[in-house]
Amino acid sequence: MFFSKIWFFLIALAAAVALAVALLMPRPAARAHVDNEKQRLVVACTVIDILLGDDARNRVDLASAFASKLEIVTALDAASGAASIDEARMKQVRSVGAAVMEEMKGKRKPDFAVLIDRRGRVVARVALDENDFGDVAAGRPLVDDALAGYLRDDLWAHNGTLYLVTAAPVVKRETQAYAGAIILGHQVTNALAQRLVKSLDVDVGFYLGKDEVAGSKTLAVEATPLVDAIKRIGGGEINQDCLANKPIPITSGKDSYTALVARLPGEVSTRQAYYSVFIKRPAALGFAGTLDAVEQADLAPGSFPWILVGAGFVVMLGVGIALMFMESDRPLRRLTAEAVRLAKGETERLSEDAHPGKFGSIARSVNIHIDKLGREAKSAKKDMDQLLGPSPEGSLGTIDLLATALPAVRPGGSAPASSPPPSEFKFTNPATQPGLAAPPPRPTPSPRPGTPPPVAPARSAAPPPPPLGLPTPPQSFASAAPAAPALNLDDDILGGGGDAPELAEEAAGDDYFGQVFEQFVAMKKSCGEPTSGLTVEKFTEKLIRNRDDLMAKTGCRDVKFTVYVKDGKAALKATPVKDD
Amino acid sequence: MSLPLRVCVVVFGSLVAAGQVQAGPVSGKLDLPKELPPREPAVTKGFLDRVENPLATPRPVAVTPQMVVVLEQAEGAQKGSAPGQVLWELVGESFSRPVMIAAVGSEVVIKNVSKTARTLVALEDDKLVPSGPINPTGPKSFRVAEAKVYTIADKDAAHLRGTLVTVTSPFVATVDDAGRFELADVPEGNYKLRIFYKTGWLDGATDVVVAAKGKTEVNPKVPALTAPQKK
Repeated sequence: MFFSKIWFFLIALAAAVALAVALLMPRPAARAHVDNEKQRLVVACTVIDILLGDDARNRVDLASAFASKLEIVTALDAASGAASIDEARMKQVRSVGAAVMEEMKGKRKPDFAVLIDRRGRVVARVALDENDFGDVAAGRPLVDDALAGYLRDDLWAHNGTLYLVTAAPVVKRETQAYAGAIILGHQVTNALAQRLVKSLDVDVGFYLGKDEVAGSKTLAVEATPLVDAIKRIGGGEINQDCLANKPIPITSGKDSYTALVARLPGEVSTRQAYYSVFIKRPAALGFAGTLDAVEQADLAPGSFPWILVGAGFVVMLGVGIALMFMESDRPLRRLTAEAVRLAKGETERLSEDAHPGKFGSIARSVNIHIDKLGREAKSAKKDMDQLLGPSPEGSLGTIDLLATALPAVRPGGSAPASSPPPSEFKFTNPATQPGLAAPPPRPTPSPRPGTPPPVAPARSAAPPPPPLGLPTPPQSFASAAPAAPALNLDDDILGGGGDAPELAEEAAGDDYFGQVFEQFVAMKKSCGEPTSGLTVEKFTEKLIRNRDDLMAKTGCRDVKFTVYVKDGKAALKATPVKDD
Repeated sequence: MSLPLRVCVVVFGSLVAAGQVQAGPVSGKLDLPKELPPREPAVTKGFLDRVENPLATPRPVAVTPQMVVVLEQAEGAQKGSAPGQVLWELVGESFSRPVMIAAVGSEVVIKNVSKTARTLVALEDDKLVPSGPINPTGPKSFRVAEAKVYTIADKDAAHLRGTLVTVTSPFVATVDDAGRFELADVPEGNYKLRIFYKTGWLDGATDVVVAAKGKTEVNPKVPALTAPQKK
């Protein structure tokens, strides 16, 4: 069993290691997955920044084209010379601006335009606050730069709306004099957001503080973490935000997202304008998640080492079965066979050395019990000898068997070779035992089976042979009592100490005891002993009392009395009868 | 101080000054350096850097709107009366002049002639400008108590900023696009003319002698306009 235990330990260890590996393996994968997602966010954020830059370049080109229109140049040049801007001029310039905007169909049409004269005054607005004019727009960096002759872009917030604005100076080609500037504005809309992330598999939202201005998807995102992330950024280059910032977890309803925020440049930067790129947070993989993620293709023979797994299983199973066979099944079968042989009487003891380990212990335990039974049998023999005296040879098979010597060597040792150990005791069936007969039922009138014939006189001190025809006590423990008292009848019977009248009555009517009496008297005579004063009543009364005592002590069903010669004198031996 | 009382004070001061010394205007033109400072980097930028237009060279930086001059009285000179009021217009996304000068004790009136309400504050002293928005066409006035340079700004519009220079001398003037300036009613005496540009006083001062009669012309030479230091 040692190697079986080692094997079981190894199997359990391998299973534990496999389980630990199975539980641990998804973690690096999950980390890598999260890192990949973060990297994807960074890439998407950077791409969006690039796309917004490209869009700004296109819008600057558009503004440049707008500003170069002759009607625009003419209108603004005329307005710049006026002391003030009146409504008529405003409407005239506005109509010119609206017409130019109409020409921009097919391109990215602006959502509004502002036409500014050389002094920085707003001459007209198109498509946004159209009736406002005459105010000075100079002062805003975008306008100042445009009036100074620069093309540039910016981001403005107006009434909660975010605008991508571009400005271009208006120049008279003939004189290369500045006539003013124009501003084009493009609203940041959901359509723009969707266009930006069309190929990125992310979502983007544009925010002014906690207010979402536009987004590629309608998400009720908790904006506080986004604003906090913006506040944490502090200084640094705005165009490096995508690389410098760390993704943050946010929630939208029950959904969890990972977001990366980046500030928007321009005027709106002072109003906490930013955009945020979202991706839905991947579900934690874990062991169960990994199993869920397994696809059928993963288990295909081409991609999974089924042969290796199967071979490993077969090897482990084979080794386990072999060890079980060698260390458990085979020894158990051997012990079982020997136990059967022991039960059949083909062997006297179990061979302790032939069985390894615990099976040897079982054999030793069985042998110890056999030895114990032997000692108890010997002790019982001594007790019976003390009670009944030595049984006549051949008369009591049981007594003969019990008279054997105890083994010389104790527990676990080999059985003595000379004398059979107590464990060699065999259960026998009295009915099948030749020479043995069940004791006659009591009282049974003569003739009855086993009625002893007249006993021949004994010779000298030699123990007489058992009376012929006299029923012999059974040899087995099952039928023989553990003790049989030897009766000393001389004093009681010859002394005439009779007592109970009911016993006398029973004795008077029992032929069995009469027969025993006659045999006893005959034996005494043959031994030359006096028989005067010996009466059948007292003799019978004595036997009955003795019988009853013996039955009470041993629980036997009946008691058989045998007449024999002991030390040249007639004696009587009582043998308990337990069953039929 | 109520308006009638203010008028009385101004009139009384003028009469006293006129009775003691004679005064005349001081005018002139700043001799600007040939090389003007380069345009500063954009305060804000969008996704792209600004680029010059391909049709014309960019306009030079307008330095004169950012200049003011002051005649400081030399030792022993008579003090003149302080100007009663300085008007500074808020024209939209900017002030009418980016730099304004006022004498200590004078009243500065900021008038919003734009269509947008503004809430202005002096960054150096948030109690200088009365709190509350200046509605379109509405004024906001205050008096300056010490010689200092204040930045008046609207916290809701980072680009909207103006510089208010306050001096102890009452003889102050702004400069037009061509660099001309004029100080009226300057009493006879010796003065030093100093120029404030953008954020600070330019180095050096021009001595000015104001005669008892006639107009005094002075054309101070402006040093190179590079990184003026605030003083």
